Amino acid sequence: MKRLWHDKSLFLASVTLICVVLLVLVGPLLAPWSYEVVDWNAVNAPPSADHWFGTDGAGRDLFARTLVGGQVSLGIAILATCVSFAIGVPWGAIAGYVGGRTDQLMMRVVDGMYSVPFILVVILLVVLVGRNAYLLFVGIGAVSWLDISRIVRGQTLVVRTGQFVQAARGLGASRPWIVWRHILPNVVGIAFVYATLTIPGVIIAESFISFLGLGIQEPQTSWGVLVSDGTKEMHSSPWQLAFPAAFLVITLVCVNVIGDKFRDAITVSSIRR
Amino acid sequence: MSIYVFKRAAFTLVTFVVVVSATFFLLRIAPGGPFDSERQLPPEVEANLLAAYHLDEPLYLQYLRYMGNLVRFDLGPSIKQHDFTVSELIAAGLPVSLCLGALALLIALTTGVAIGSFAAFRHNSWLDRCLSATTTLGLALPPIVTGPLLVLLFAVSLRWLPAGGLDSYLSFVLPSVALALPLAAAIAKLVRGACIEVMDQPHVTTAKAKGISNVRLAFHHVLPAGMIPILSFLGPASAALLVGSLVIEEVFALPGLGRYFVQGALNRDYTLVMGGVVVYALLILILNFVVDLVYVRLDPRIRIEDQAAAS
Amino acid sequence: MKHNRKFAQNCRRFTLAVIWVFSSTCIVGDETRVLRIGSPGDPQTLDPHRYTLNLEEHILKDMFLGLTAMDAKGSIVPGSAKSWQTSSDGLTWTFHLRENYWSDGTPVRAEDFVFSLRRLLAPETAAPLAFFLYVLENARDVNSGVKQPSELGVSAPDDATLVMQLEKPFPYLPERLFYPTGFPLPAHVVKEYGRDWVKPENWVSNGAYQLADWKPQQAVALTKNPHFFDHEHVAIDRVEYVPVADSLASFHRYLADELDIIGDFPAGELESLRKSHAEHVHLSPLLSTMYLVFNVSTSQFTDARVREALALAIDRQKLTQHILRSGEIPNASIVPPIVEGYSSLIETEGANLEQSRALLKEAGFGKENPLKLTLRYVTGAENKRVYVAIAAMWQELGVDVTLHHAELKVHFSDLGAGEFEVAQAGWFGEGNPEHYIELLWSKIGGINYGRYESADFDRLLEEAKNTVDSIERASILQQAEALALRDFPVVPLYSVTIRSLVNPRISGWYPNPRNSHAVRYMSLN
Repeated sequence: MKRLWHDKSLFLASVTLICVVLLVLVGPLLAPWSYEVVDWNAVNAPPSADHWFGTDGAGRDLFARTLVGGQVSLGIAILATCVSFAIGVPWGAIAGYVGGRTDQLMMRVVDGMYSVPFILVVILLVVLVGRNAYLLFVGIGAVSWLDISRIVRGQTLVVRTGQFVQAARGLGASRPWIVWRHILPNVVGIAFVYATLTIPGVIIAESFISFLGLGIQEPQTSWGVLVSDGTKEMHSSPWQLAFPAAFLVITLVCVNVIGDKFRDAITVSSIRR
Repeated sequence: MSIYVFKRAAFTLVTFVVVVSATFFLLRIAPGGPFDSERQLPPEVEANLLAAYHLDEPLYLQYLRYMGNLVRFDLGPSIKQHDFTVSELIAAGLPVSLCLGALALLIALTTGVAIGSFAAFRHNSWLDRCLSATTTLGLALPPIVTGPLLVLLFAVSLRWLPAGGLDSYLSFVLPSVALALPLAAAIAKLVRGACIEVMDQPHVTTAKAKGISNVRLAFHHVLPAGMIPILSFLGPASAALLVGSLVIEEVFALPGLGRYFVQGALNRDYTLVMGGVVVYALLILILNFVVDLVYVRLDPRIRIEDQAAAS
Repeated sequence: MKHNRKFAQNCRRFTLAVIWVFSSTCIVGDETRVLRIGSPGDPQTLDPHRYTLNLEEHILKDMFLGLTAMDAKGSIVPGSAKSWQTSSDGLTWTFHLRENYWSDGTPVRAEDFVFSLRRLLAPETAAPLAFFLYVLENARDVNSGVKQPSELGVSAPDDATLVMQLEKPFPYLPERLFYPTGFPLPAHVVKEYGRDWVKPENWVSNGAYQLADWKPQQAVALTKNPHFFDHEHVAIDRVEYVPVADSLASFHRYLADELDIIGDFPAGELESLRKSHAEHVHLSPLLSTMYLVFNVSTSQFTDARVREALALAIDRQKLTQHILRSGEIPNASIVPPIVEGYSSLIETEGANLEQSRALLKEAGFGKENPLKLTLRYVTGAENKRVYVAIAAMWQELGVDVTLHHAELKVHFSDLGAGEFEVAQAGWFGEGNPEHYIELLWSKIGGINYGRYESADFDRLLEEAKNTVDSIERASILQQAEALALRDFPVVPLYSVTIRSLVNPRISGWYPNPRNSHAVRYMSLN
């Protein structure tokens, strides 16, 4: 694990991501314009000293909107990831620990869900709960826990043969207690890394939903909404595409790099163990 | 072995029925119906329309009717595309989607393997870093941005390729490149990792010590081993292609199955969406089934593991 | 056995499609003059009785010739009928047909019209727009299955004469008849093939073009009809309607020279296009009205003062000039200003925030007790800008506005069910004032989304509906409109502008308020 701190690209990615997150969280407070105020004198205006990223087609400040959009995009990505975490970890842990028929059945459910293409479910969800963006992303989280549960199950199979679990069992601890106290803490780390890797997927899915014009309600916005609106005006007002797209891509690059590095580190260390 | 095959087949069938049934009922819960529009229909007309598609019957009857027809390969008429049956639409759209997918897979595999192995051989050089950065970027670009940008560059500015639709083979080029991009990046990463690992192994270092040429080393020792993770990646990759094709077909106005599915869902064309789900689920389930069987043939351990899990 | 055959048939179709995908290259040679038109989507049907979409209307009008038709500039001209008369009570219309042939060479007879109108209104056809011709005697009863199709008010005394009997005088009948619902269908073909008569291999029509091929989501191809009565003057041999739903995609395809005409492009491009493609750009106002509708049964909007305050706060000029920017016409009347023979009594003025604030205060809303409302609109990039701007105008009054967008289907299903407070609505189509004013009629049904009811207005409207003379009719309608709009059940906003790009090689394309561009009048240079 220690080697990670000396990895330059990981360091760079982490610093950039922290900067982006800080900017997204704090920026809107410092921005001269609010994200929902219409500036009638600068509709569709290019970047200037007044509007740093220019304005959108309704005359709203794009700097503020990009940052607020970041809050929403990251927010829903984290929301979906939390949901997938909350389902995937217990599911995998229980399947792995209990074993036998229960395990088989639970993993069959996972296999079955793997056979449903993710985007089909997303589109069905859009049709179903499209009017509530947050519900939509809870739904997306609820169908993207499959990888996590598989990883957690595998890890649990390793952990449950460990001495401390044997000892706890010997001392007469109940099954739920063992899962809660001994299994979960030992699988959460690896699950967390895999959960990170679902963030880019959710953000890209969100951009497609926005491309179809669905999802987030105005005046709220997201990177997906801004980017898909921006592509429609890419010839005449390129700034409407460039700034949000840059934020989105940079963030995804950072998350991917960080996730990859940690995953490699964990896989290597678990192999060595 | 035959018991295993039978079990897998039964499981596949059950999954299929569950998926289709779930979609059927979920669609009906969705707000809005196929006949809502800005021109509100008089009640007489709406009643006629609902009757024409049996939408006025109780839901369970509609469900039984649908499943009954499905057994006979009849997907029914499309509710919104009046002049076609769902089967006709799928017959028109599926080949386009499959062509797109196959081409994208080809592009992704060739470029992915080339970039990945190249980077591995120049491990830790500046070239490797550049290629890694490119692949990471490739994974982070949303297709709704890459699509229009590719069109702008190659179709509008350079005029080398068609901008959209499907008028000739060339129409497949830009969409399949856009679709292949993230996949190629993922494959390049995998190959690079695997190759680097292989190059550290004794048989490779021995071969190297024996002084065989770099080309021979690459093609006889490193690449074959480096390809293994790709084989197991192909299953999820094909699924990813299906997923991506929905987006790409929409962006490039390519008349594939994914487009029908998206439009059908937005139009509440119940039968068309169901048809799409049936075809996609069948494709993926059959694919998984076949992959499973191949694995069992190749790797007897899986059978044992399966038995161990059952005990 | 039967099902196996069906399955085999599907397999064969599938194989053919695969072969097609691999073999399709440019088939059309240089000799034929082909016109490629970008269409905002694929038609859902080409059966004139089942059509609902505008884009279907355009394609169908190239293939059929109704009793009346439109010239290149969108004015009504004789079509299959060379002339017509009306009885003095305005109830009986007699049409004299011209000599005219189906694309298979058989003559078009008055009987074909009778057959189609009966088919349109028969409940089994389930024609979504059957109500367009509810003006015919017994039409409503036939459509709901109470009466037999033979009782419909239409008859053919001989092969060249068609008589229509109306329930009430309807001076706008010639205009109503050029919609596909009024087209003749080839009775001999429809009887032979049933539902499948619309397949390209069975297709027969009497217009300038006939259906050659339809590859779903790819193109609807029409070829010249050699039996069309005016075929010597039809210059273009083949027309392809190409579905391009996304306006950016269609714009790109136009720039890449893959399409000759497109009917929409991203609004932001207008200014640069005016410089780079000045000869391509055409803006034309459309017979249409975009308006806001208040649900008068919700607690905030039962008070007319609140509705008035919100209406007065909207600056239509700002909306059209800053936000829409394509020459949309601001309009406070529900009737589009380009409707001929009607001048509304309503004046279009700027915003009056002071009066608006005063009205809100009177109605009991202020800083401590702000008015709260949800504004609904249909998903779309342009709509988003417009309704964000309107929300901003209301926020200036201290109103707490929540925006809510939904896809078209959901939006209008919510409106129809009365589940909204204030919402976007729009109405397109005809060049007569009644078409728009009757949106406020309590008996019109679901499209009076706000459930506005006014006995005085209803009485005036019904009086107009029984008036034969069109000038007198218009003046009654004027009063009715002014009366209703005094209650502010709706806030008319503007008339839509169509932004088209037309390749300058094409002549015979004229911007017009019906956005009607029959290919038979065009030629390629």
